[in-house]
Order: sequence, then structure tokens, then C-alpha cells
Amino acid sequence: MLKIILLTVIISPLGWKNKWSLVVTAIIASVLVALTIPINKDIYTKLAYDTGLDVTSLSLIILRAYLAALIIIARTSVSRLNFKPTWFVTLILALTSLLLWTFSTLNLFIFYLLFEATLIPTLILILGWGYQPERIQAGIYILFYTLAASLPLLIFILWLKLSIGSLNFTLINYTYNDPLGYLACCASLIAFIVKIPIFLVHLWLPKAHVEAPVSGSIILAGVLLKLGGYGLIRIGPVFYNSVPRINIILITISLLGGSIVSFICLRQTDTKRLVAYSSVAHISLVIAGLIVGRASGLAGSLTLIIAHGLCSSGIFCLTNIVFERTGSRNMLICKGLIQIMPSIALWWFLLRICNMAAPPSINLIGEIILINSVCSWNLASTIPLIIISFISAAFTLYLFSYTQHGSINSRMYSFSSGNMNEYTTLILHWVPLNLLIIKADIFILYLNSLK
Amino acid sequence: MICGVKDTEMFKVIIPTRPNICNFIACLLITCSLVITCGGLFYINKSQSTVLEFNLFSINSVEFNYIIILDYISLPFMAVVTFIAARVVFFSKDYMAGDPTLERFMWVVFIFVLSIIALIIRPNMIRILLGWDGLGLVSYCLVIYYQNVKSYNAGMLTALSNRVGDVIILIAIALTCNTGTFNFTHVINIDIKIWGPICLLMAIAACTKSAQIPFSAWLPAAIAAPTPVSALVHSSTLVTAGVYLIIRFYKPLISIGLNKPIFIISILTILMAGLGATLETDLKKIIALSTLSQLGLIIIAIGLGIVKLAYLHMLTHALFKALLFICAGNIIHGINDNQDLRKVGTLCLQVPLTSACLNTANLALCGAPFITGFYSKDIILEAMLITSQPHACLVIVYLATALTVTYSVRLRFYTMRRIASINNVLSINDLPKFSSKALVPLTLLSISGGAILSWILIPNNPTPCLPLTWKIIILVVLTIGWLTSISILKFNLEPCLLHKSTPTIEFLGSIWFLPTLATRFYSWPLINLGFLATYLVDRGWNERTSAKIFGSQASTIRTALQSQQISSIKIHLTTYGLWFILVLLTVIICFSSLIWAKFWRNLGEYNSWSILGI
Repeated sequence: MLKIILLTVIISPLGWKNKWSLVVTAIIASVLVALTIPINKDIYTKLAYDTGLDVTSLSLIILRAYLAALIIIARTSVSRLNFKPTWFVTLILALTSLLLWTFSTLNLFIFYLLFEATLIPTLILILGWGYQPERIQAGIYILFYTLAASLPLLIFILWLKLSIGSLNFTLINYTYNDPLGYLACCASLIAFIVKIPIFLVHLWLPKAHVEAPVSGSIILAGVLLKLGGYGLIRIGPVFYNSVPRINIILITISLLGGSIVSFICLRQTDTKRLVAYSSVAHISLVIAGLIVGRASGLAGSLTLIIAHGLCSSGIFCLTNIVFERTGSRNMLICKGLIQIMPSIALWWFLLRICNMAAPPSINLIGEIILINSVCSWNLASTIPLIIISFISAAFTLYLFSYTQHGSINSRMYSFSSGNMNEYTTLILHWVPLNLLIIKADIFILYLNSLK
Repeated sequence: MICGVKDTEMFKVIIPTRPNICNFIACLLITCSLVITCGGLFYINKSQSTVLEFNLFSINSVEFNYIIILDYISLPFMAVVTFIAARVVFFSKDYMAGDPTLERFMWVVFIFVLSIIALIIRPNMIRILLGWDGLGLVSYCLVIYYQNVKSYNAGMLTALSNRVGDVIILIAIALTCNTGTFNFTHVINIDIKIWGPICLLMAIAACTKSAQIPFSAWLPAAIAAPTPVSALVHSSTLVTAGVYLIIRFYKPLISIGLNKPIFIISILTILMAGLGATLETDLKKIIALSTLSQLGLIIIAIGLGIVKLAYLHMLTHALFKALLFICAGNIIHGINDNQDLRKVGTLCLQVPLTSACLNTANLALCGAPFITGFYSKDIILEAMLITSQPHACLVIVYLATALTVTYSVRLRFYTMRRIASINNVLSINDLPKFSSKALVPLTLLSISGGAILSWILIPNNPTPCLPLTWKIIILVVLTIGWLTSISILKFNLEPCLLHKSTPTIEFLGSIWFLPTLATRFYSWPLINLGFLATYLVDRGWNERTSAKIFGSQASTIRTALQSQQISSIKIHLTTYGLWFILVLLTVIICFSSLIWAKFWRNLGEYNSWSILGI
């Protein structure tokens, strides 16, 4: 643990000196160091100072460091406009450090505190490096949705501390008995469900994504949404046995909402907004898998969380690459790109099809396991699953072919077909997404740690 | 790279011509083909099969395996596919010459071949997805290769029709988890309760890929792709994937009796495609529809239970259909990228090689005796007779066989014999440099391939024993088809018979309105649903009841409060007076209570005030 923490701390002065490449190297090094940590599949390891690691937390820690490196590679607009680059890199590093602690802590209250604390850098990122006046509204949306929804959780945590005397994740599972029932369940789950987000409380997500700079989008799609999933994984098992009936409501909302959001995606003309909505549609599967409360559902959710984090952040990079050239996110303007950026078109295709769970991406593994677990919960849920899966292909291809096909916008005068930075970012998104299938065990390991 | 701006003074288009890529890929494919053929002969000779299997991961005893199977089904199929692909690559070197993005095209074609190979060698429910999804997606890339609206729409139709199959397979996988194994090749105990729904789903998935009746619309639409792609898609790869799945999945399928519905669907398909092709004037579309009818025939054979013959017909059909498409491509390339039958004519004088090959392929398609198609098609049709099928089915299948001859003769008549009314000035010729490499080997195999393959694959071919009158029934049907077609064309009866816009003709010509049903019928409601979901739900009540309501409530309260704070002397004085009275009252009460407390203490009685220390 200390290895990673120290590395992150040591990195930060490099950012102040505009040593971007060194920062990236150091973060990647921290990823590699994290990969060497031996993980016991049954219990938490590296226990110290109320922190510990298991498969879920370590894989999310690796993901956030990896994405932090990618953000700094993809920061072209920040460095070109030279708009407070040192602040930018400091902010990113602060955010990654916070996330490191969030994912490794074992204390529910500390988790809650950091869960809220990550909101501050994100808000600064959106308000500071966003590019439209609407970002103020987006900032308010993200702040109030997550904050208001998580206040009941705070009360629940305090009550929990009074009643059972400990807030350790592992101890909660064993000692929690349920005098409050539905109330406690709603109070604790709603914070995470808004963060993931489920349909009906997803409104902040498209707004935040559209207004955020590319780095904000990557960190939002890649890690911050996953905080909600992580919270559900940690605190969900408490309620599986005590309030089993809550899952009917949540699964219904998430699956039907996922299908409705898929239809919404078909009507979007804004590339970023489409990708944001599509992540709501895909995440609805994750929610369903988590709430079902089966071992396979949890494994599939973890797989899809990682897959979606890599995949959708890659697509946000792509939309940003196009935005930097055309100055627009509108699909009616960004057309015929295959003629001017043929090599980027390949990455459009590869990343888009990963999003619709094409083999050999780990999205497919995740989706197969999730469909299996949700179907075995209730066979009627196959219908929304079919709709989500089919329409997600439809809007995926819609986005791909609408941006790549057709004639180029006539106001385009000069452009670059892509530079090394951009290709590096995209390759680094795609490669783990498709190579991890060879060793898909690592996500399934979680199953054995489940009691 | 500048594309789309051609022949202007400012931008001189420099087309990167790299023919090496074609040669490279073709050589690679030919080598593969040779090696696989040798391997296939070895496996057939030894009559053995090899299954390589390793474990990816397992969840609670459900094992997700990676599996490769090499046997008498997969190896000859792969050999044929790679052989055809090599010829197609040679052909596209000529056909796509001058295309600025030839290299991309060639690599996508190569990936396409790789996906079909991935499909062939991995008959495992999960592993098949790699090839299955790959075929759908790469074919999408190839169909939308040209930058026009027609190919855009056709690509979307193709991809989404195939996606239906993908989704269904995903659901089938979820159901298969109950059985504990995904390897449907070695299922022994077939419990109808478990395998029934799975088999049904797999059959539907196969129907989407092989374009059987509810999903037929994409196949004629996919001709928007460049012709070499059509030669691959419609002959040996994409459309045969579904058939291959059924062939592999045959045992569970037939044991729960699903071959009957498949049989009926394929009979309807064969009729629909035959009638559609007879009324079509698009050169490529006729060939695409003939593919549809041949696929129907293959699935009929599976429905009858003669799977080996179905497999044989799948291979031979791939050979002559690829040839047919390559010939059509040569013709289209020669006549200024036109593919209307009415604008071609007298080609037998101008392109003798292509014409000869086209005729050979057509004869093979019709099932003329002792040419490729005969060896499988004839036996399948005779098997219909000896297995006592319903008379209606028999009549439809034989009608469709006659229709095959009819549209083949019609195609030949229009392209070869008729004198074209327009486009007299054409510089069309066979380029022996390129096209002969593609045409000649395929033609040779289109003549002899049926015999060779049937001797190799089905050494002791059980020929149905029939009376002479029944035996010649197929020849009679073929002759009737030929005579009808020739008489209609010779005496120019076509305009008065078929060129009228009656509802029946429109129904048959538009392949039973399936393209409309597959696109406009449901696309508008879906898009409309998206509209409703956006403006009624997402930006409608959802936003108004959650986010907007806080803003509006807060502003209402603020307005109410702010109105009290306007600097008016009346309000100021009133507030001052009220506060003054309030404070005064408080002070009085406090003091009086103090005084009273003192008074009571002085009285020396016990009271609660004493605790306060007053």
C-alpha cells in the first residue's frame, strides 16, 4: 500500500514543473507496482491503518491510476491553451490520491467522507476547464444530486456506529441485524444508486459529461461512476438477506430504465451526450447484477465496471479528438470523418464495438455473466435485456456510421489526422479491454471471497 | 490524403496504388487453403477429429472453455472458404483498382475471412460468438464501404438483422448455463425441458444469419457492398454461418422436433426468393435472391434429415455462387458501374470468357446434370419424393426449382443475347491479367467440384431408388422452366405479362414486402418511442419533478421572503414595534419570575427553582 501512496505523493512536484511525461511514467509505474501486490482471494490483504485490499478494490485502484495516466496523455487542449496546467495536474493527482484511499479504506465512515470528497476536484475540473457557460448548471446538478442523496447515508452510518459499535466493512456484514428494514436499506443504497446512476436520477450525468473537459469525462465515466458500484458491492451484501424484497423494485427500475435510456440514445445528435446516455444504459445491467445478490451477478458487475470504465472513457477521448478539430460535438457537423481521419476511424470502430459487447472484449464476458444471473433471477427480465442489448447495438452503429459516413462538412479547412498522443491514448484504452479476456479469472476471483 | 475531390487543378489526386497488398493476402489465403485441404484429406482419410480445449475460467462449476475442433466438417469448409477468398482477392485487385483506400478494404476482407474461420473451428456456444459477432460487424464495415445513403441504410439493416441473432445467442448462453456445458457438439442427454428453449433460440439465430423468412430483407439489401464483398458474403461466409450452426447443432435440434418448422420456413423462403428473382431487373439482386433460394434448399435438406448432403450443397453452392458474383462484377465493371439488366446486351461477343463462366455457373446453379450443383441438389430433390412429404411442399419446391431455371435463363438472355437499347459505346473486355486468375480456377471447380467433393465427403452416396417416371421428374421440371422462360423472352411477352404494376406483382417483386417490414414498419415507432422518452420522460416529468422542482420551489420561497424586505417605512416600523413589544415582554417575564422565585425561596418552601441557584 505504502509503495503506491508514496509514489503518488512523490509524483506531484513533477507536475508543478510541467514534466508531463515523467508524471505519466510515474503513474504507470505505480500501476505496475500495484499489479505486483499479491492478493489473497479469500480475505483482505495489506491490512494497515484501517485500509486493506481485495480483488474489487485493487482492480479499481489499478483502473483509476491507469486512467489518471491516460488523462495526462490526453490533456492536449490543456497544454495547448496553457490554461493553468500545473493546477490541472495537481488536481488530477489529488483526485487519484483521494480515490486510492477511497477504494482501500475499510471504514464505512471514511469511505463516505472520501466518496463526498472526490466530488470537490471533479467540480473544480468541470467548472475550471469546461468550455461552456452551461457548466455552472452541470456543476450544480452533480453537486446537489450526489450530496442530497448521500445525506441519508450519513445518518445511517452514525446510527450504525451507535448500534453495532463498528463501521468495518467485514464486521458490518456479520453483526448487522435489521431493526430499521426498508428505511435503512433505502438510506444506504440511494447514495450509491444516484452515483452510479440508475434511471430517474441519472439527469446529472449527461449534463456533467457534456460540460466536462475530456479529463473530467474520463474520470467521471472511468472511476467516479464506479464509486457507486463499489459502494453497492461493499454495502449491498448487508441487505441481501435482511431486505430481499427491495431488489424487485430496483431491478425493475434499472432494467426498464435501461431500455428507455437506450431509446433516448437513438434520438441524440450530440456525440458526448449519446455516450453519456449509453453508459446509463450499460450501467443499468451492472445495477441489476449487483442487486440480484448472486455471486455470478457480482462477478459480472465487477467485470463490466472495469470494461465500461476503459471503454466509455476511450470513446470520450474520441469525441474530444473530433471536437478539437471540428469545434463541435454535433453529429450533423462531425460527419464523414473516415475520409479525413481514416486511422482514427479504426479506433472509433474498435472502441464502439467494445461498447456493444463484441468479442473479444471483457464487456462480453461481463454481459454474458450478468445476463445469466439476471435471467436466472427471473426469466421475464430477458425482455428488457434483449431490448437493451439490441438497441445498444443500434445506437452504437448509429454513432459510428453517422460520424464516419457521408460527406465532410464544407467549413472544414484544415485538420490533423491524429497525432501520437491521441493514438497512444486510444491504444492504451483498447488493449487491456481486449487482452484481459485471456485471463478473465481475475474478476471471477471475487466469487470465492464472497461469504 | 485528399479524397472525394477528383480531377481538379488545385488538388491533384495522388492515389496510393499498392497492388502488393492484394498479392500478399491472396498468397496467404492460397497457402492456407492448400494446407487446410491436405489436413482435411488426412482427417477424412483417418475419419477422426481433434478437439483442443482449454479452460478460460469457471463460475461455480460452469466452465467457460476455449475450444478448437478440427474434423471432416470444419476443415473442408475452411479450405473452400479460403480458396474462394483468395480468388475474390485476385478479383478485387482488378475491380477495386484505383480505389484510394484499397489497403483498408483488403484488410477488412481479410479480417472477414478470419472471422468465418473463427466461427468454423469453434463450435462452442460462447466461442462461436467471436466469429458470429465478428462476421456481423465486419460485414457491416464492408457493406458501408461506399459513402452513399443506400449503402448506409443497407449496412444498418444488415448489421441490425445480424444483431438480432447475436442477442438471441446471448440469451441462449444464459439459458445454457443450466446445462453446465457450452459445447453443443457433444450433448448426449437431451432433456427437452432444458434444451427446448435453447434449440428454439439457436434456430432463430441461424435464421437471422441465413436470411430465412422473417429476416430475409438484409440479404438483397447487402448488395450495396462492393461486388467482391458480395461474392464473399453471399457465397461462402456470412449466409452459410447460420446453416453451419444448424449443421453443428443438428442432433439436439432434431430430437426435439424443431426441424419441421425450419423445413416450412425454408420452403416459404425458396418460393419467395424464386418469384422475386424472376421479377427483378438488378443484376446483383437476382444473384442475391438466388442465393436466398439455395439457402432455403440447404435448410430443406436439413429439415429432411440429410445433413451431409446439406453440407455438400453448402460447399458446392459457395463455389458456383462466388463465380457468378465475380462474373457479374466483371460485367458491372465493364458497363460503367451499371447493374441494370436492361442496359446490358450482346456480352457474349464482347466478353467471351466472362460469358462462358457465367453460363457455367448458371448451369451449376440450375442443377444441370453432371455439373457441380447436380450432385447435391438432385439428391435433395429426390429425397423429397421418397420421404413422403406433403404434396403442397413438394409442389412449392419443384416450382422453385423451375423458377431457378427461369431466372437463370432470363439473366443469360438479357446479358448475352439481347441487343441493348442504350449504352452502345462501351469499351468492355475481359482483362486476362487479373480476372482470369479469379475466373478460371473457380470455373473448373464449378464444373468438377460437386463430383470431387461428393466422392470425398460422402464416398458411398445413397442414391434414392425411384421409378423412371419419378426419376425424370426433375429433368422435366427443369425443361419446363427453361421453355417457359425462353418462350416469354423470345416472343417478348414480358412487358405485357410482368411489367404491369398490379398488387400481386408488387407483392412478389418486393419479396413479400419484407424490406418494408424490416425497416419502416418498426423503425418509426422505435424512433418515436425515443422521442417520447426524451421529451416526455427525460426532459419531461423526470426533470420537472426532481431537479427543476427544487429550483422553482426555492425561487417561490425566495420571492415570498424578499417581498417582506423591501425598504418600506411602514414595514420597518411595524417590525420594530413588534420586536420591541416581544423583547419587552420577555424582559418583564424574566424579571417577574426572578422576583417570584426570590419571594418563594424567602418563604422557605421547597421548589424546583432552587436547583438553578437563584
